[in-house]
Amino acid sequence: MEYQTMLAWAAPIAVGLAAIGSGLGIGRAVGSAMEAIGRQPEAAAKIQTAMIIGAAFIEALTIYVFIVFIMLNGKIGAH
Amino acid sequence: MPVGLHYMSALAAAHFTPLFLVAAGGGNGDHGGTPHLPSLVWILHELGILPGGAYRWATLWVDIVFALLIAVFFTIVVTRVYRKRQLIPRPLQNFIEMLVEGMYNFLYTILGKDARKYTPFLGTLFFYILAMNWIGLIPGGHSPSTSLNITASLAIMVFLYAQYTGVRRLGILGYIDHMAGEPRGVITWCMVPLLFPLHLIGELAKPFSLALRLFGNITGEDVLIAVFVGLGIACLSFMNSPVGLPLHLPFIFLGMLLSTIQALVFTLLSTIYILMMLPHEEHGH
Repeated sequence: MEYQTMLAWAAPIAVGLAAIGSGLGIGRAVGSAMEAIGRQPEAAAKIQTAMIIGAAFIEALTIYVFIVFIMLNGKIGAH
Repeated sequence: MPVGLHYMSALAAAHFTPLFLVAAGGGNGDHGGTPHLPSLVWILHELGILPGGAYRWATLWVDIVFALLIAVFFTIVVTRVYRKRQLIPRPLQNFIEMLVEGMYNFLYTILGKDARKYTPFLGTLFFYILAMNWIGLIPGGHSPSTSLNITASLAIMVFLYAQYTGVRRLGILGYIDHMAGEPRGVITWCMVPLLFPLHLIGELAKPFSLALRLFGNITGEDVLIAVFVGLGIACLSFMNSPVGLPLHLPFIFLGMLLSTIQALVFTLLSTIYILMMLPHEEHGH
């Protein structure tokens, strides 16, 4: 296979895989946060803050892949 | 896709009105194939206010222009409030005090009694990044955070400030001791050749992750909004209408939420990096 074809295959699959990974991770984090809020509703604000911050960390990994994709995007179809 | 964008921009330019237009990737084109919305610079160029040379200069420096605009705005507001401050505050002073005190209370839960010293830097960081992110959501505005230069310079500042804090509070020997994992017994001394490079690489990775996180999130949100603006124009283009449907509205709200979260995460991480450099008793390395 030539370089352009492989790049056009690989780059979107990479983003998709990263999305799967972060989806699973954030799902677990938010699930635990929901359980914790269910057990102690008066601590909801603190738990929510911590959940948002944790989700931002996990999301950052997908964003790194997105940046790589943007960098490679210009190379597809450009000879 | 580039053909479609040129068509849309030609359409929009043909029906241009000085009101805020819903145009995608107009005169500025795209950098690297990703669509983005035109900024005030392009609008002024289309209105004829910015001639060719000044327009090219402004396009190159549009990030710095907007970042400086925000900084100057903050400086003017805060110095004005400070000069005319009274014991019983008037509305603007009350609002600024509310922001500062909120920031201080938030940092107190993390830094403890050192919060007083680091609130100026971290508070300014938070509000500056927040303003930079939000200004891209206004029609005609362009987020400076979509430029890796701006985010990297902020991350490098945080990195240098944290290292400087470490050297000043711990002393140069204490700083090296901290980097080596604080060897106390025989086993920890033997682990120094392992821990020292590990800590070094960890410290160097921090500004990278800070810069790339902020850059990637804000660019992604920008591209998302631009794509939906293009879609909104394209869906009414069959009747040659000059305006399109505002399909990007929910993503503007998502953008506001995500911008706030990213500013908060940047500030929180900077706080934690500074906290790690301060002398603390229990060591969970």
